[in-house]
Amino acid sequence: MSTLLAFHKAILEKIHDPSTSELLLIARGLGLRRLLCKLLQIYDSPQNLIILVNASSEEAAAIGEELGVLGCRKPGLRLVDFESSRRDRQDLYKKGGLISVTSQIFIVDMLTGDIPTHLITGILLLHAEKVNPTSPEAFIARLYREKNKTGFLKAFTDQPEHITSGLSPLRVIMKELQLRTVHVYPRFHQEVSETLGRDRAVLQFSVDMTEYMFEIHVAIVQCMSTTLTELKRSNTQLDLDDLKVENAYFKSFDAIVRRQLDSVWHKVGPKTKQLVSDLSTLRRLLTLLLTEDAFSFQLYLESLIEANTKNEAGNARQNQSPWMMTEAANVIFQYAKRRCYTIDQKARAAPPLPQVADENEDEWDAIRELEGGASGQRSEWPEGVQPVLEELPKWSIVAEALQEIEEEMMRRETKLTARDPGSNTVLIMTSSIRSAQLLREFLGQIDPSAEKGAQGRKLMEENMRSYLARQAMKKAMQNRTLTNSSGALTPSTNGKPSEVSEALKRKDREREARIASRRRIRGGAPAAASTRSTGAAETLLSAISQQDEAIIAALPEMMFDMFDPAALLTLDADFDTEYGMLAPEQTVIVRAYSDDSDDTVLSEIQPRYVIMYEPNLEFTRRLEVYKRSMPGLGVRVYLMLYNNSCEEAKYLTDVRREKDAFERLIKERGSMLMPILDERRPADSGDNLIRTISTRMAGGRKDVTAEPTRVIVDMREFRSSLPSLLHNAGILVVPATLTVGDYVLTPDMCVERKSIPDLVSSFNSGRLYTQCEMMSAHYKHPILLIEWEENKSFSLEAVQEIKSYAKSSNKYQKKKPNAMETTAMSTYNIQAKLVLLTLTFPRVRIIWSSSPYATTAMFSDLKAHNFEPDAAKAIAVGAEEDGEGGPGTNHVAEELLRTLPGVSAQGVRHIMNKVGSVREFCELSRKEMQEILGVEPGKTCYEFVHRGERRAPAKK
Amino acid sequence: PVVQPGIGNNIIVNPCQRGNPVLECIKGSGKEFGDILSDYQVGRTTGVLYLRLHPEYIHQRIERLGTAFNLRILLVLCDVSEHQDSIRELTKICLINNITVIVAWTLEEAGFYLSTFKQFEHKPPTLIKERVDKDYESMMRTALTSINKVNKTDVEILRTSIGSFADIARTPADRLMQLPGFGQVKVKRIKDAFEKPFRGAG
Repeated sequence: MSTLLAFHKAILEKIHDPSTSELLLIARGLGLRRLLCKLLQIYDSPQNLIILVNASSEEAAAIGEELGVLGCRKPGLRLVDFESSRRDRQDLYKKGGLISVTSQIFIVDMLTGDIPTHLITGILLLHAEKVNPTSPEAFIARLYREKNKTGFLKAFTDQPEHITSGLSPLRVIMKELQLRTVHVYPRFHQEVSETLGRDRAVLQFSVDMTEYMFEIHVAIVQCMSTTLTELKRSNTQLDLDDLKVENAYFKSFDAIVRRQLDSVWHKVGPKTKQLVSDLSTLRRLLTLLLTEDAFSFQLYLESLIEANTKNEAGNARQNQSPWMMTEAANVIFQYAKRRCYTIDQKARAAPPLPQVADENEDEWDAIRELEGGASGQRSEWPEGVQPVLEELPKWSIVAEALQEIEEEMMRRETKLTARDPGSNTVLIMTSSIRSAQLLREFLGQIDPSAEKGAQGRKLMEENMRSYLARQAMKKAMQNRTLTNSSGALTPSTNGKPSEVSEALKRKDREREARIASRRRIRGGAPAAASTRSTGAAETLLSAISQQDEAIIAALPEMMFDMFDPAALLTLDADFDTEYGMLAPEQTVIVRAYSDDSDDTVLSEIQPRYVIMYEPNLEFTRRLEVYKRSMPGLGVRVYLMLYNNSCEEAKYLTDVRREKDAFERLIKERGSMLMPILDERRPADSGDNLIRTISTRMAGGRKDVTAEPTRVIVDMREFRSSLPSLLHNAGILVVPATLTVGDYVLTPDMCVERKSIPDLVSSFNSGRLYTQCEMMSAHYKHPILLIEWEENKSFSLEAVQEIKSYAKSSNKYQKKKPNAMETTAMSTYNIQAKLVLLTLTFPRVRIIWSSSPYATTAMFSDLKAHNFEPDAAKAIAVGAEEDGEGGPGTNHVAEELLRTLPGVSAQGVRHIMNKVGSVREFCELSRKEMQEILGVEPGKTCYEFVHRGERRAPAKK
Repeated sequence: PVVQPGIGNNIIVNPCQRGNPVLECIKGSGKEFGDILSDYQVGRTTGVLYLRLHPEYIHQRIERLGTAFNLRILLVLCDVSEHQDSIRELTKICLINNITVIVAWTLEEAGFYLSTFKQFEHKPPTLIKERVDKDYESMMRTALTSINKVNKTDVEILRTSIGSFADIARTPADRLMQLPGFGQVKVKRIKDAFEKPFRGAG
């Protein structure tokens, strides 16, 4: 097991005391998990009840495992999630020990009293960076402190960058968790840097990207800055400082933009929204370029075009991403294809189009030579296709590094004794599982004798085959679609000859769009166009795409059968599990960076050689800790880096951002006004009591039982922040499984809460109709609550779209009432549906609430002068003999079922009672589905689920 | 000489609304002035009061309304940033008086509401009742994007490289992981949706 370093011990010394509560902020990679496990081990005892909150299921599993290694086995850390029943949970809590529970279940259990809150010894809370006044963590802290003043609450986080909300973010967290102490341990903390020292010896390999990659890289960055400029131009109120291309490399950039735009989000047009989402697409492209092989990249691009040129209805889209129209985008698409293959005779027939091709001519020759005149092999590809099969430059560098490591091993062999720690296993770390997989495939099929850049040829050829097969399959599928639909439709519905397949039409459209975009560029940027004879180039390009089509069409059916991609791609992915069986001397393990479990990997494998395939801040730290805790191992670290790429910039920015975050937090801690933790008055405080009594008097009733105001809340609602705020406002929150409505305020007042996205989706699915129907049937005052998020723009988003529309259609010049009307109808979609809803259910009232806070205030208003609701009655309303809902339900799966055609709200419940999971549902025969859903819907659903099946579907 | 309200295809407008800019924004249905209890009558049984966020004035109007109309709408034009208290107040009043609040943020939107109420007077609720039948691709898109983190590009990739919905359901995680753009988190979300049981033990 990994040893504790001096600073680990120092930290533990400070925080282990079970009588204190505190927040620990630590830099990533310094071993937070190690500390946590140690703490849990210290506290482990059946007399204690320790709750671990906010650990994801993977984290909890990993922590449990590590605890097992530490010796806490019986019973160790137990996990509570939606799969464990209420009775099980109660038993578990009673027995004590270490328990990891999701925050939603924890809240419900505290409210219902299933968990003896006053007996909890302490809570360990992970991911403290997520805490804000409306988060479930804050609710937990409040509920906990209400009944338990002596237990501890220790919060942990290793994500200082995320603590940014508001002016004094740290204070907010401290206040919400009711903590007074905070420990901050950045990498530059004295104790940490004393322990780790400044040993950062890393062998860095810088690689140049290939010419094509470089061009694409430049083009993507160019697209990003164009998009950014566009974004700035259309939104002058944006704070320009934060919007730089290097910031755009990060995921958090979206959040920055969103935060700046949030208050005016309803005023920004769909264009801006498009731009924001474009940025994240481009960012993804950038990573894919550096980590994926040429074919996957090409495939992604194609899917991107496919998804962006069609709208939901399958027609050409109105709002195309602006970057797709730029010349830079054209460069991306052209070069990406050229990394895979070229089309031969066209290249010869045309004037030498790209200079790049010239320069690569000798490389081509080399490739041809490599094939050794194997004309037989060449004929494997369709006529005219010339494979280029560009490899990732890092591949050959990895090969080189492995070579060097092998030599090094030989050299060291003599000096090592068997008792020395460490293994000769080489650990290669990559940024994602996908790139780890790719590297594995490459290493599995490496041809060491080949020259640089061609060592992975076998793999690339395979990829090309599966790529072509995929294209063929797509084609085949489209053809099938055609035959299906033409059978149903009468062929003379429109003037056009119906033989033109839908697929071809779309292709035509795409091609038109492409040509159109090219024309626009030519008009817009004459300088760029003047360099070569554009007319020729243009016809050539469109010819190329036609050529593609022809090639794909020419793929023999046989080929389609031969290269079933499903079969091709099931390569040995479980390399990981096999390493135990192999002699460790020869093993190379490829893994993706993950969280603190990387520490475990390091300490288990004890590698002497580590290759970092991509730079990673956390892992660098882990290596430092690892080296320090394994002195005398002589760990050798290689780092691979693309020159002038976003990788480098990303890494540096990463370092800077973390440092800045820590400095900011330390500064804040220095000047922080310690929140005075007011002892929360219990829910039945005087104020409320008086109101309750007077209510009774006004009602003319005599029994003045001091009943606290309460609201019955559906279990499912605990995912939102409203119950927490209601509780904070002094209203007693009673969790229950409700069939009708989400909140019951009074005996005859029932509320269905909808956030805006919820509203849209439940209008579309028809669920809202059913819910309003149910509420109207059972309650005197059915209420629809439309709730916006705090600080988000308070308006229905569609409102804006009509303006941009109006501009484009020149509303003021020509008057086409009909056109306007339909436009308005489609843009005011939600509004129209709301109108229809109110007309259908005249008794349903609507509450428009700008935030959960506003809702809370309105709920209190509505409850005043009314009787308190009865939980048992509310549960009984509309309930059938039905399984438990609430935290015991897999919501994602439920949601997924609901979107399937033929599945009604009733159907969802039937399915969930009869079948275990969505997957099982998909395996049902047509007959079984019809039994559950009814004949027609069952048929619809079956056909949807099995359409475009690759394997032979179950016989009907 | 005020005209008695007719029951035609026109929205009947209370003369006191003369000069209200929202009249300009009512498109798609006709208007006529008439002596009515509400500000606008948009159907035989539907009356609308119009308000620009000044709750004080509305009390007497509601009082005058009495128990007339089956569906009573208060159309609020919310064009100020300090709306919270007014809306809170209005919500309370309206709930007591059986009035449904509709909030509009622009004049166009308010106009749209008025004309739509009239146009939809006899419309059956099919639009909100059933899912509109759509083509296969968009149904697939709706279904799969209901899983968090899955976007339309991913759907396209899934559809072309894996196949039918059932095929996707039975594809193992490591195979999904090989698709471009599919990381751990996304694959886990997908697997959770497809394979985790609907219900726990209880």
